[in-house]
Amino acid sequence: MGEPIMLEFEVKPLDFLAAGEAAERVKETLKTLGLPSSICRRAAVVAYEVEMNLVIHGGGGHMVLKVEEGQITIIAVDKGPGIPDLSLAMQEGYSTAPDYIREMGFGAGMGLSNIKRNSDELEIETEVGKGTKLVSIIYIK
Amino acid sequence: MAHGIRVLEDSCRGCVNCIKSCPTEAMRVIHGRAHIIEELCIACGECLRNCRHRALQLAEDPWEGIFNNKDTVALMVDPSLCTQFLWPPNTDFLIGPLRDIGLEPISGVNSEAFDLAALAVSRAIESADSKDMPLISTYCPAVVRLVQIRFPELLKHLVPVESPLEFGIDLWRIRTQQKESVVLAASCPARIAMVHDPVGREVSSAEWAVSVARLAKEIRSRGYAKAEIKAPAEGERWVQWGMLGGETLHVASFMNRDLNAIAVSGIRNVFDLLQEVELGLHAEVEFVEARICDTGCIGGIGNAESRFLSQRKIRSQKVRWDKTASEIEVLEKLYRARIWELQRTIEPINRLPLGEEISQAMEKLKEMNAVYAELPHIDCGACGRPSCRAMAEDIIRGRGEVEDCIFKLRKRISGLAEELLLLSRRLVHTVVEDKH
Ligand code: SF4
Ligand code: SF4
Repeated sequence: MGEPIMLEFEVKPLDFLAAGEAAERVKETLKTLGLPSSICRRAAVVAYEVEMNLVIHGGGGHMVLKVEEGQITIIAVDKGPGIPDLSLAMQEGYSTAPDYIREMGFGAGMGLSNIKRNSDELEIETEVGKGTKLVSIIYIK
Repeated sequence: MAHGIRVLEDSCRGCVNCIKSCPTEAMRVIHGRAHIIEELCIACGECLRNCRHRALQLAEDPWEGIFNNKDTVALMVDPSLCTQFLWPPNTDFLIGPLRDIGLEPISGVNSEAFDLAALAVSRAIESADSKDMPLISTYCPAVVRLVQIRFPELLKHLVPVESPLEFGIDLWRIRTQQKESVVLAASCPARIAMVHDPVGREVSSAEWAVSVARLAKEIRSRGYAKAEIKAPAEGERWVQWGMLGGETLHVASFMNRDLNAIAVSGIRNVFDLLQEVELGLHAEVEFVEARICDTGCIGGIGNAESRFLSQRKIRSQKVRWDKTASEIEVLEKLYRARIWELQRTIEPINRLPLGEEISQAMEKLKEMNAVYAELPHIDCGACGRPSCRAMAEDIIRGRGEVEDCIFKLRKRISGLAEELLLLSRRLVHTVVEDKH
């Protein structure tokens, strides 16, 4: 099998126009590997929510797609404000997005719970004032 | 011939204008000639719009072949055919001119067929599982192909109701017992493909497809003018389907409550909306009316009239959306006969993976990324591919050489030239030039 495949994305803060592009790239890349479309879709959902989180909350950041035998890993790192109460943030409908972003229709508070629902494993390290690292794993069966 | 489009090789100048316009990157220009990768083409017609040399054309059936010694042939009228003339969009006015050119419109069935389709869609919405929401219209065959190719996860959202242009012909055959072949008036390559390469059934109910523009030209050339035609008191409901939003209005008219629907047109909007639906952003929407062409089918490449004039004509008509008791009675009977149903499930069109095994595909993907890294990333199109990424993929799939890239070729040539120079300096003997 050898080295895993790595794909890196730079996500700029508040770049709403580009949102969704990385998700599409992730989906198309996984499809060319011949992975089942349900797995491609789940990875695309995670990538999209991660992207949106970086755009809205994280002040931009870095996303990596890693594909290896048996699993897909999506890693997101930002140097944003961090998440003060993680279990609260995981609840559906909870959002800290500022009003002007909510008015644009984003940040409805689906992000983290949606990532959780579509991941087989999810790990989040966060420190207020320092930033957040998110690792989502989807198994390839 | 790929999906309703014909490439006229002799007219193609290899200018590569078309390849950038294709939303699914299905076009290539190899050895100066355009060709289409069939399994990627959705028959949207964007490439036709962008070919200045008219080398890409609708693959409509030849006029003479259709008649083939017959005096009249039956015609299924598309809503957009009704908007091509100076008179108001109305089938009655069309009958005379169409007969004049030898076509007998399947009159009468259109309004029933479209009513039935709208009724069936409304019933499907009412009984759908919330996890299959929103349901997506199957009226535009290019949208259906886009879902098959790019959004296979959304196939279960496609409403299992066939195009009324398709089952309307069945209805006419059942009613009249006619065996005659039928021509479909096609507003786009996707409608031509619907006849010659159907998706929701084995064989199309129509035998031939001719563009709306061709029909309009035949009629116009016979000098039909506005005459003294007055707009009828009431517009026909089914003609509204030619314009974006018409199907939604029709479907909603069968429901006793508000319908939560989105209607979008234009390739970009359709693409973005489907992507968002796939990401789960529109789970509370019940129905999506998506049309590949801007403004709907009146914006199809196979029409002659301006889409904005067509739009004004359709808008100017007052339509009665409520149905009479006797109309409802007939519809319920037809609904129970289920002639509106898709006959075949719509399957995904999977892109060939890079390798048979995932591990093999991963190796290929790595190679592809390495090839891509060496390309100039300016997507110039000179290699005949729409982007450097598509070029890298073609190389890995054995459909191209690195030197098809002019920048790589230039490097290679200058390398070779240097080598030649070095070699030439190594010659020990010099031949004295011959002077006579
Ligand atoms: S019809 Fe559309 S999808 Fe097919 S090659 Fe032309 S632009 Fe591409
Ligand atoms: S919107 Fe209508 S004209 Fe355009 S591709 Fe779809 S079916 Fe054809």
